[in-house]
Amino acid sequence: MRHTIRFMRLASALLALAALAQAEAKPIAFANGTTIMAEYGAGTMEEVQAFYAPFYWLSLGGGHLRLDSDQISRTREIDYFRANYLVHRWNLEDAQANVFAWAGLGSATGNDFRGSRLDREAGFQADYETRRIYVSLMSDLHESSAYSHRVDTLQLGFAPYAHDYTDLAAWFVVQARNYTGVLHRGVERAYLLRLFKGGAWIEAGVTDHGKPQLMAMFNF
Amino acid sequence: MYKHVFSTLMLLVPAVAPAATIEIDVNGLVCAFCAQGIEKKLRAFPATEDVVVSLEQKLVALATKPGQDIADDEIRRALTDAGYAVKAIHREDETLDAVRARLKAKR
Repeated sequence: MRHTIRFMRLASALLALAALAQAEAKPIAFANGTTIMAEYGAGTMEEVQAFYAPFYWLSLGGGHLRLDSDQISRTREIDYFRANYLVHRWNLEDAQANVFAWAGLGSATGNDFRGSRLDREAGFQADYETRRIYVSLMSDLHESSAYSHRVDTLQLGFAPYAHDYTDLAAWFVVQARNYTGVLHRGVERAYLLRLFKGGAWIEAGVTDHGKPQLMAMFNF
Repeated sequence: MYKHVFSTLMLLVPAVAPAATIEIDVNGLVCAFCAQGIEKKLRAFPATEDVVVSLEQKLVALATKPGQDIADDEIRRALTDAGYAVKAIHREDETLDAVRARLKAKR
């Protein structure tokens, strides 16, 4: 509980900071672009997504999310359609910041309820990025008649050098993730190395419990 | 007679020939995905020959095909539709290769 309060305080402060600094984010990569993403989240969360953005402020697509509780024998699988919307973007001289929101519907199955349930999803992301610093806060809520859980993710990134378009970009990222709905006990911290070049993005790291976290994303 | 026509044409050429490159100063240009989106948008113009994006200089440079041009308004709209803020558009006599070399030298 103390961890949760501390996390929420930190998250609120960073969100306020991001808002003050005028934030930006990336569930939508760019207009007329397709994004494919796969994430393995330390054995608790696995997700794949594919989105197409007809505009820079909207992307449509879907995904598959699997959640495995580390506290009890609980597994959920959700297939969903989702729309991502860029609420606001601030294009600054040396930075970009965004606030995104999304909503979706899906079908969920799990081992703690029978049959499939209608899943409702809502979330937001706020981020602020320069060529050396990255701050992102994301919250993703899934609800149905059988469950309600939320995954909050805070990322702080630092680039050891300022990359240009044709360079390989490297980032060191510290992540804190909080699960509600008895999916994970406490705040899960992870230490990640993020590399990207052109439209390819690969992220790999380890949690403070020694579990791997991997993510790959491709934009084209 | 021919000499007169040639002289008249020579006077007209600088007025109608497009600049070697169009340079665009852009705000919010901080990541490879930003650059990728902008490049994709500008390459969609049939008149576009080549595009260079520099995050360091917050600059997008575009060369048009020989004898072709893209109006400032169209460029501004393309960048705005890509989600970025255009600070300024200016036309330079430098070739795109020279711009590339200049950007490389500044790094």
